[in-house]
Amino acid sequence: MAAIGGTKVNPKKFHKNQIPFYLYLVPIAIFMGMPIVYIINHAFKPMDELFAFPPKFFVSHPSLINFQNLFQAAGTSSIPFSRYVFNSLVVTVAVVGLSVLISTMAAFALSKMKFRFKKPIFEINNLALMFVATAVTIPRYLTISQIGILDTYWAHILPQVAMPVCLFLIKQFVDGVPNSLIEAAQLEGAGSWKIYYKIILPLIKPAIATGAILVFQNVWNNIETSNLFTTSEGIKTLAFYMNTLSTAGSVQGQGMAAAASLIMFIPNLLLFIVMQSSVMNTMAHSGLK
Amino acid sequence: MSKKQRNPHDKRRLTKRMVREWGWGYLFVAPWIVGVSIFFLRSMVQSLQFAFNRVELSNGVILHPLENGIFENFVKVFTTDVNFPMILANFGIGLVLQLPVIISFSLIIALLLNSKIRCRGLFRLIFFLPVIIATGPVMNQLSAQGVSSVPMVSQNALLGVLQGLPEFIYEPINNLFSSLIMILWNSGIQILIFLAGLQKVPRAMYEAAKIDGASAWETFWKITLPSVKSLILLNSIYTVVTLATGGSNEIIELIYTATYTATQGYSYAMAMSWIYTAVVAVILIIVFLLLKEKSDRKVVYEQKRVVMKGV
Repeated sequence: MAAIGGTKVNPKKFHKNQIPFYLYLVPIAIFMGMPIVYIINHAFKPMDELFAFPPKFFVSHPSLINFQNLFQAAGTSSIPFSRYVFNSLVVTVAVVGLSVLISTMAAFALSKMKFRFKKPIFEINNLALMFVATAVTIPRYLTISQIGILDTYWAHILPQVAMPVCLFLIKQFVDGVPNSLIEAAQLEGAGSWKIYYKIILPLIKPAIATGAILVFQNVWNNIETSNLFTTSEGIKTLAFYMNTLSTAGSVQGQGMAAAASLIMFIPNLLLFIVMQSSVMNTMAHSGLK
Repeated sequence: MSKKQRNPHDKRRLTKRMVREWGWGYLFVAPWIVGVSIFFLRSMVQSLQFAFNRVELSNGVILHPLENGIFENFVKVFTTDVNFPMILANFGIGLVLQLPVIISFSLIIALLLNSKIRCRGLFRLIFFLPVIIATGPVMNQLSAQGVSSVPMVSQNALLGVLQGLPEFIYEPINNLFSSLIMILWNSGIQILIFLAGLQKVPRAMYEAAKIDGASAWETFWKITLPSVKSLILLNSIYTVVTLATGGSNEIIELIYTATYTATQGYSYAMAMSWIYTAVVAVILIIVFLLLKEKSDRKVVYEQKRVVMKGV
């Protein structure tokens, strides 16, 4: 937040001209923010409030019982809890890093370089964009078993690295980078690689941040790869584990699910808060004018 | 640019420079091509193959030719399945209705967020939050528990008020209200993209228009809208794609259950998903044709004209 203040986009003083904006923004903002408040409240509800009818929005007697149950259940399993966290971190970091690298490189090439088959390649991306992911799970399983990476970290990482949506978004932003900037760099003797990381990357930072958030979302919450492409328990991810715990079916499962979803949600929120200042701020300063 | 420089006679001949340039291009896309061709293209081709055969999944895949013509699965989707064509039609109509609302809503919010107000950062944070909620486990939680209480509470309140009205009035209002929540939750990325575009519009242009005496309304139509037109296309495509492939989609669920139901068979599910993909593709093509920019030059020209007027 401090960074946003630094750009001086916010006026210092309150002015009555601003009132109409607040009239629209505040109600919608409250409406949008409610689910977050609900999730936080829900996780701290004791059993009787969880099942209260009509459901309550705010918790009246907050307790940590759901978290206790969750960690107790986690403690009884043969695999330590930290193992799942570690697995998830490895997979998420690898996928986000790799897919941002690959997408930005491909976007740069498809948008600013000259070579044959450029158009068909992008059309293939658009086709992949539309295709239902559920439909390719079994062929994908076959591919993964043929490559021989079944039940390894690669089975988590590789299928998720190529994200068509990510490439699509980033390419549109690279299109907006003026050609004259690149030509100027070429005249100065910069090679393709240098143009990529000295000019393109800094200019499309907002798109990268957006793409990274999207990829993170997908990977962090993904239970399919654990479900389908791995068999040994020690290699599955946190999302999968949380899912098994909370769908165990018991009455306690409900409360544990609420606690688990709060735990799973916090990294999302943190990442978003970190990224969003870069998303919003770079716009004002970038050479994209 | 490239067409102008290249001599038509050596179109086929590769100059040394072209080879170098092409080489770099291929080098930059190579990792992406490898990834997509292994994990998307190959799987998609296979699934198409499955759709035209009877699949036996037993320790590997065995394909049997179909008895009643090669399109048996596709025909079956429309003839035997009661739900699929209906749901597909509903989905198409819903998408066409939702799209303009989502786009205009996110543009309006982006415009509001781009104006000079206090706590702008906070508001931006809140409006981007649905991106985190809608895809995450949080959303599943909200719906699975049946206490998606935020919409429920307001809807129940609304029900009480509207119960007296005849159904043909009540139904669209109710629909609109429940989809309003969907609209709000589906427009995080779109707002962000519009905001990015709005910030790129040079201030001088607005000042010039103001000096010239243009009203806010005119400024919006003559400057703001032309400037974000390409983003409207981008956002529309993005919206269609996310709505079509997102988790809370009946057709996806239908395909998912069909995939793992022995009676209907895997190849049947594949036929379904290809039909679905075709429908989405048609919608996307229509959107593209409707919103395509005539040419970049025209927009620039119009913007220049506005500036010139101001001078």
